[in-house]
Amino acid sequence: MSKIEEVKAKVEAGKSKLVPGLVQEALDEGSAPAEILQAMVDSMSVVGDKFSSGEIFVPEMLIAAKAMSKGVEVLKPLMAGDGSTSLGTCIIGTVAGDLHDIGKNLVSMMIESAGFDMVDLGVDVPADTFVKAIKDNSNVKLVACSGLLTTTMPALKEAVATVKAAYPDMKVIVGGAPVTPEYAAEVGADGYAPDAGSAAVKAKELATA
Amino acid sequence: MLTKRQNLMEVMKGGNPDRFVNQYEFMEIILEAPMDLPLAPAPGTRVKNKWGITFDWPADQIGSFPMHDDEHKVLKDITNWKETVKAPSVFYTDEEWAAAVAHANSVDRNDKFVTAFCAPGIFEMTHHLMSMEDSLMALYEEPEAMKELIDYVVEYELAYAKECIEHIHPDALFHHDDWGSQISTFISPAMFDEFILPAYKKVYGYWKANGVELIVHHSDSYAATLVPEMIEMGIDIWQGVMTTNNVPELIKKYGGQITFMGDIDSGRVDFPGWTRELIYADAKKACEECGKLYFIPNLSQGLNISSFPGVYEATSDVIDQLSKEMF
Repeated sequence: MSKIEEVKAKVEAGKSKLVPGLVQEALDEGSAPAEILQAMVDSMSVVGDKFSSGEIFVPEMLIAAKAMSKGVEVLKPLMAGDGSTSLGTCIIGTVAGDLHDIGKNLVSMMIESAGFDMVDLGVDVPADTFVKAIKDNSNVKLVACSGLLTTTMPALKEAVATVKAAYPDMKVIVGGAPVTPEYAAEVGADGYAPDAGSAAVKAKELATA
Repeated sequence: MLTKRQNLMEVMKGGNPDRFVNQYEFMEIILEAPMDLPLAPAPGTRVKNKWGITFDWPADQIGSFPMHDDEHKVLKDITNWKETVKAPSVFYTDEEWAAAVAHANSVDRNDKFVTAFCAPGIFEMTHHLMSMEDSLMALYEEPEAMKELIDYVVEYELAYAKECIEHIHPDALFHHDDWGSQISTFISPAMFDEFILPAYKKVYGYWKANGVELIVHHSDSYAATLVPEMIEMGIDIWQGVMTTNNVPELIKKYGGQITFMGDIDSGRVDFPGWTRELIYADAKKACEECGKLYFIPNLSQGLNISSFPGVYEATSDVIDQLSKEMF
């Protein structure tokens, strides 16, 4: 197995202690940083699919993402300023009135693993704050809004409407337990995903469309 | 007419109930018992409990949350849990137990189960201490330390159980521990078998060995794949079972070994614009599909309350109506 294949396998298995060393070995063998990064992104795509299908659970996804992040730390100094490997910036947050952060954090982690730079606004985010974050950050390609409560679904609608009013072409993705594809369409979102793995797939699809 | 207790037993053993068991009616929960609840008491409050966990209930929210920013997270490194995590005392004075004892003594035990209450659960305690992400990763990265921490929580629960049993002699235990999201369990059944199942076999085994007849476990989540484990650990009633579990199928498969209490999702009916008609539609569907045995129609909420005033009572009223229509 080549070093790069080993990196892929160990990211998927969540071996965060082994991945940095393997990334370094892959570099020493002559692999390009971008190639290694893509291998890890591909691994996380497999992890996302397995999560979506119920084959693996949250801990397996978390440790895989951690392993990738440890690998990215090795690559970062070599890729500084190389924007060609990023899919752009994604602004993410849980909408106003809602404090749930676990689902949002998982989605953030998986979208980051797909190749986005993440700006996480946290929980209980007013609609205007999403707009301000688009203004304050460069190369924003996507806004991801999360809501877990039935009672905060109107805030989800408001967040999408506010972003779209200020930036009509901005892609917005929504998700959370009470959200359905129909509701996402009704509130004017460009995309919906039922889980973190699918969110990464949808994010990539929207940003590269 | 059967008493509430008798009617429940008919439902659980597959006998001849004369009506639906109506939500929590069979449990007289002794909430006066001194305990360390995982809650801020009201909107707009923040409290630190005796484990050191800070719970915040912002004014405009419907519940409280444990805080896990750097300032508030109790356990930042699982390998240091022995130095960091200190269980509170389970010993309370007779004066502190007095209200609970009086409440328990006032209950007609032919009609209802005197019910002890325990929350948070063992899994919940781990993520209250260290955040969900850290606790789930620690199951992989530091399994031995996690097992030690879980054992420590189990010892605390057993010590509290001893005190509770001595003071109020409960007939039933209502114990919380959420094991999943609405569509999946948090951890795989294999991991659950390794970490959580042995802990609950000890805890529920102890309550049952000391006079408790009924274990009611709350998890308002998907957990259909954990039902065999629930049965193995001694759960008699899974409360909070959500529609995402396909309750009618579970009843077909496991009825007789465990009873399912729920199938009316609070998230669908308990909101500011609630109506009796919406509750009736969901409750009727649940009762028609799940049937009269091994099933208790109930909101998925983990106590005999609702988030918005009137929803619990309206649901009880609807279930009474459905009993008249279907029995």
